[in-house]
Order: sequence, then C-alpha cells, then structure tokens
Amino acid sequence: MKNKNWLLFLLVSLVAITLAACSTGGTDNNTEEQEQSSEGEETTETSETQGEKVLRISATSDIPTMDPIMTEDNVSTQWIDTVYEGLYRQAPGGEIVSGIAKKEETEVSEDGLTYTFHLREDATWANGDPVTAQDFVYGWQRAANPANGSFYGNYLMSGKIKNAEQIFAEELAPEELGVSAPDDYTFVVELETPVPYFDSYVINSNFLPAHKEFVEEQGDNFSLTPDSILANGPYKMTSWKAEEGWELVKNETYWDAENVALDGISVKVLKDADTRLSNYETGNIDRVTLSGSQVKDNQTSPEFGSLSEASTFYMKMNQESAEKSEYMQNYNFRMALAKAFDKQAYIDVVYGNDSIPANYFVPAEFVEHPETGEDFQQGSDLLAYDVEAAKEYWTKAKEELGFEEVTLSFLSGDTDVAKSISEVMKTELEKNLEGLSIETVNVPWAQQLDLMREKNYELAVSGWIPDYKDAVSFIDIFVTGGENNDVGYSNEEYDALVKAAKTELALQPAERFEALQQAEQILLEDAAIAPILQRKTSVLAKNYVKGLDQLNPFSNNYSFKYADIQK
Amino acid sequence: MAKYLIQRIIYMIITLLIIISATFFLMKIMPGSPFNNLGGKITPEQQAFLEEKYGLDEPVPVQYFNYITGVFQGDFGVSFQYENRPVSQMILDRIGPSAELGAQALIIGAILGIILGMIAAIKHNTWLDYSSNIIAVIGISIPSFVFAGLLQYYLAVKWQIFPVSFWESPIHTVLPTIALMIFPMAICARFMRTEMLEVLGSDYIELARAKGVSNNSIMFKHALRNALIPVITVLGPMTVSLMTGTLVIEQIFAVPGIGEQFVTSINTNDYPVIMGTTILFAVLFVVVILIVDLLYGLIDPRIRITGGKE
Repeated sequence: MKNKNWLLFLLVSLVAITLAACSTGGTDNNTEEQEQSSEGEETTETSETQGEKVLRISATSDIPTMDPIMTEDNVSTQWIDTVYEGLYRQAPGGEIVSGIAKKEETEVSEDGLTYTFHLREDATWANGDPVTAQDFVYGWQRAANPANGSFYGNYLMSGKIKNAEQIFAEELAPEELGVSAPDDYTFVVELETPVPYFDSYVINSNFLPAHKEFVEEQGDNFSLTPDSILANGPYKMTSWKAEEGWELVKNETYWDAENVALDGISVKVLKDADTRLSNYETGNIDRVTLSGSQVKDNQTSPEFGSLSEASTFYMKMNQESAEKSEYMQNYNFRMALAKAFDKQAYIDVVYGNDSIPANYFVPAEFVEHPETGEDFQQGSDLLAYDVEAAKEYWTKAKEELGFEEVTLSFLSGDTDVAKSISEVMKTELEKNLEGLSIETVNVPWAQQLDLMREKNYELAVSGWIPDYKDAVSFIDIFVTGGENNDVGYSNEEYDALVKAAKTELALQPAERFEALQQAEQILLEDAAIAPILQRKTSVLAKNYVKGLDQLNPFSNNYSFKYADIQK
Repeated sequence: MAKYLIQRIIYMIITLLIIISATFFLMKIMPGSPFNNLGGKITPEQQAFLEEKYGLDEPVPVQYFNYITGVFQGDFGVSFQYENRPVSQMILDRIGPSAELGAQALIIGAILGIILGMIAAIKHNTWLDYSSNIIAVIGISIPSFVFAGLLQYYLAVKWQIFPVSFWESPIHTVLPTIALMIFPMAICARFMRTEMLEVLGSDYIELARAKGVSNNSIMFKHALRNALIPVITVLGPMTVSLMTGTLVIEQIFAVPGIGEQFVTSINTNDYPVIMGTTILFAVLFVVVILIVDLLYGLIDPRIRITGGKE
C-alpha cells in the first residue's frame, strides 16, 4: 500500500509541475479546442461541397496579411490574387487578360494620361453586391490614404497616379486622387505622366477594388479571418488557422466561375524543406517546391520541373564605400571582379538546379519588342566569366591604382544559403585574382538591408524581382541618385536614356524599348554590376496537376484560377 | 507561509519588470527596421509614416512608457509582420500546441527517465546500468532534431506508421512527442542515477536496512524521496522551455506552436511580438521557479518555507 502511495505522489508531483506551470496554457487549450471544433464544422461543410478536385499544396509561411493594400511578400500576394479580382489579371506565364474590366474596351487618351476602364456588369462580391466603379475608387483611395500605411501604395502611386504624391505628403485629401466613377461601370484613372506599362501595373493588389461598407464595418478586423474577407475573385477562403494552413473553395458567384476548374485548394504551412518533400512523397500534397540540396536527388524524376523566373541576381560593387571607393570607381577593377568568378559554380552551390548563368541584367523572356516581338534580352558576353580576361583587367587595375594587395569585404546574410554564397564568391575571386583577399561579413537580413541602404558595404549579392512587366522596372534602379541605386553608379548617358523612356518616348513604344536596351548595354559596358544568374524554381508535381507549369513574371507567382486536376 | 508567498510574489513582479525593461531597450538597439524587409521597395517617406503610425518615431523612453502602460491595461499591441493581428491573440493561438506537446514530452520523458535512473542505480554496475547509461548519454548528446528526422523518415515516410506532420489528432502528436521527450528523459535518468547512488550509500539507508525494513520500502519511501530533489530542480526550467515550444521540432513536424514565432519576430524586428513572447516566457519561468521551491518543502520537510529571517 505504502509503495503505491509513493508512486502516486511521484505522478501527482510531476503532473503538478507541468500543469501548474501552464495555468495560462490550460485556458488556451480550451480556446484552442473550441476553435478546432468550429474549424471541424467548417471542414465538413466544405468537404460536402468539394468534389474530388481539391489541389493540396504547401506554403512556406502563414499568410502575413490578406489586406490587399498591406502586402509586402509572396505568400500574401499569391492568396490575395486568388480570392480577389482587379481590373485585369495574369494568365499563367504573365499574359494580362480581362478581369473586372473588359481589356479590349479600355480607352487610353492620346496623351496617355487618361485611362477609361469599362467594367463588366455581371461581376459580384461574394455577398451578392455588384462590383462597381465606386468600389475601385474606394479601393484605390484606401491604398493612397497615408493613414492606412500601405506598404506599396506610395511606391506605386506617387508620381504616377494624379495627386498621389501630394496625398502621401498629406497636402491633399485621399479623395483628391485622380480616379473617378462617372457611372457604375466606368472607371477613369488620370495619370501624372504616361505609364506605357499600365496594363501590368494595375495587377498589383494595391489596385484592387474594395467594398466600402464591408471594410468599414469590419474596421480593425478587416482581413484577419475568412469571415472578414469579402471575395470577388475565383475562390473564397473558408478556413484559416494560424500557422497551420487555410482552405479555399471555388467562388460560385465569381463572374467567370464556369472557367474555374478546381473545386478548392487546401494549403498547409510547412516551413521545413524536408518536411515539405516528405509530405509530397507520402501523397499528402500534390506539388512541392524543392530547395537546393533536394534538386539533385529528384532531377531525374518524371515529376520534376524547372520554371523560369523573371528575376536576376548580381554582385554589387559599391562605388561609394567608405574605404574602397577609389578602387571600385576604377573600370578595370570592376571588370576584373565581374569576369573573375564562375557563375555556374555559384548556381551549383546555391540553387543546385538549372538556373541560367547570366551576363545580363534585364531577364530573358520577360518583355518583347512591341513591333518585332523579339526578346528584350539579346544576350551579351561583355561580363561573361573569363579568367584570362579578368586577369588582364586586374593587371591594368593594379597599374592604374598602384596596389599589389587589396582586401574587400563581402556582405551576406547569416542563413546557411547566405553563408554558402559568401564562401563561393570568396573562393572564386581569391582563386582568380592574385593579391585579392575577401573578408566575409555575415549578418542578419534586416541588418544587411540597413548596411546596403547606408552604402556601408563593399561587395554584396542582390536580386531584383519586377513589380510590373516592363524593362524600366529593372533599368530604373541604377539612375544617378535613384532610391535603390546602392552601388553609387552614375552615367549621364544612361540617365538621359531612362529619362527619355519615361518622358518623350513614353508614347513611342518601339523607340522607348530600344532606348532601354541601349541603357542596359551601357550599364554592362560600365560593369556597374556583375550579373550572375537568372533564377529558376524547381518543383515536383504529380502529373494530374495542370496549369501550374509556368511562373508569372511579377506579382502573384501562380494563377490558380487556371489550375486544374485531371486524374 | 502566506508571508513567504507574498514576499516571493513581490520579488517576482520586480524580476518581471527588470526583464521587460531590459528586453525593451536591448531590442531597440537591434539593427534594422520592422518595415523595410523588402529590399528597397518602400520609400523613405513611407517608412517615416509607418514609424509615426506605430509610435516608433517617439524617443525610446516615451515608447517604453507607452508600452508598459499598455501592458498593464492588457494591451500587448499588434504585430507588424502579421498585419494588425493582436499579439495576445497570436500568443493564445500558438501556445496551445506548444504547451500540449511540451507537457506530453515532459511527463512521459520524466517518468521514463526516473525509472531508468532508478533501475541503473539499483542494478549498479550490471548490464542494466550500462545500457541505461548509454541511452542517457545518447539522449543528452544527440540533438532532438536528429531524432526527429530519423523518426520522420522511418516511421512516417518509409513505413508510414505515423503521419509525416501536421497538428490534427492525437496520433499526429506521437512523433514530435518522442523526439522531444528524449532529452528530458536522459537528463532525468542521469540525475536520478547519481542521486540514488549517493542516497543508497548514506547512513540512514544503512540504518533502515539494519532495522530490517523491506527493500521496496527503502527504495520508494526513503531513497526516491530524497533523490527527487535535484530532478525537480532541473525539471522546473525544462518545463518552461519545453512548453514554450521548440523551433526545430515545430518546423519539422509542422506544429503551429510558438517557438518559431519567437525566433521569427526577432529576425523581422517585430517589436510587439518580441515583447509579448518574452513576457510569456518570463512569467512562466518565475511561476515555475516558485512552484519548484514550494515542492521542495513538500518532498523534504527539512527544507522550511518561511518568510524573512529566522
């Protein structure tokens, strides 16, 4: 008997420690259970309406926000695009097609400053209300209202949409934004300057309509739960559990519902790359994006695929760094650095897939010549990997600058991938350029951004993902004094070409296109940056998954409206 | 007893205030901004505007005062990273799975560990002792994510006995619980063995034996009770760290717990979330330490709980 008592005491004390320590945890468990049971009801509801065509995929993080004007990341952008629809939308691969606005009926004034969009009359919100031009006016004003603190609103609207700049400076009221609704189905936008790529510009989620009554009724809760999101796009969100995942079902009230093939999409949050792959292998998800080390093992699988991205990565050589600016401003010095490292080696180490070594800045297969249809990117070997040439430039640089040995710092992040980046660059550059030592600096991402913004670095690798479909999204970065020009590059001719493309050539598509091509040529001739690669994403997908074999060049990665499962 | 408790609670509040203040000021000297993790796609004016909106343009002491005032009113602010989500809600959503997983791992791990340790001590220098020792050394030296990976690969992917991941039903908790319980089990076994050996060699056990007390009674009534004290000491803080989540285990098994949030919030300078999770950890810690101290008295009445000087 006594023995039993002691065992009991042992158990009780252990339980007491754990339970008492978690007295707060205890009540949380209750709320958790309640939530789970209500989720349970929702899932049964949806599984009744869901047929077999439910696409099961994973996401690398929870959705940071479903509020269209607050997005600043891939995941949010992707799922906002899936539940909402704006003026236009992207078909797979990036073609701009009609959304709420009928694209073929859009009128552009001769000076390119006024766009008149004609909206379809059969588009509705999920609550049955029609989507009207007033909803667009409100949505755009909401993005432009500085009090709402939109992340992208200012970046996208200022200097483009009439009065946006003054609104962000709080000189004008948001109602003064250059948008209007002469009637329910006509939406007029006035621009400050012609924006030749406006079609793709309005894809951004800051340009979505918003249901004023609903948004105001939800207040601070807007977009925090499926109930506080009012969809007007191909899918509706039915459940969203923090850090676990979310589910969407086809929105039957969507005007083009007959062309939405899937009955639903189920997304699980899986942060660990190996866990994602394991779930794919055991059949829990239908499609998975592979990380570097996983590519090699799966490359030969019939389910393997690589999708081109419209993003390029390049090494930055800061011409305004505190100590090495004199070196970096030397043309031969930069040429030597740009040609001295093996781009393929970089790809092998960092991505392990068939990303393309690039000697250019504006991605291939991104934009085409408006008349001839030729690709913007005609390739160039000016900055190709060439050890011999690099050594020649290096010798010249040594003569001109009068040095034998030099140490440069290489800034990178503190993740495993970021460290492998700095290691491969250090190895390559030191191997091929005699007298060069690279000192690697690995810091957290936020600090890395700070240091770059302050131009407090010497070498670093950056990538650029465009925000709209036009070469200027890339070329604009390196104009003298540009906000994102953190390499201190300056060339008058380059600046003049970019300015011309934005002003007098804005309405002459062919000339403008060629001016931007020339600008890129100058950038490369000057070795302002050292291009490395154009990235590809590697995936495994079951053969019954259709419509997801192309990435969009900007904004949302995939157009789930067109996805399908064909078993 | 009451006096002692009141005194301890006052100390706890002071400790918490110090932790909150230190974290707040240290956090503010971290590099980076919560609003520019995009790499240059926010204009400086916009950044200034956001800082003003969230009160980050004020001097740090003013921000500190505002924050503390909020905390006393139960307002922990809203996340920057997860737009507009209240921090208290985020914590409530995520502490559940972490606490459940941690409690399971701790209870099972501690019980198994204590049994292992006792067996090792009683069967000192036999194969039982050696194998229990080997288990303990492996458990302490191999990190839990290695076990997690192995368990997941064999039991879930290859043999498909358990689900790979997700947090849906009790069966989903098996693998993460096993991966997580190995460390507390090993620690308990080590402490238990050492203490039991010491206790078993002490005079009063000899006396009990001489008096003819039965072996079971010696083990459970006399030895175990005294040997438990150091185990309780290490279990206290371990409870907190287990129940507040483990980044790697949570990621591998896709558990929607809080461990990961703590790390992400620091990386993204999500100030309100950093503060919220720190306060949670700190509160749990001081409470557990108090409970451990109270338990000492319960297990060994010689440890007196009294207030002030004696």
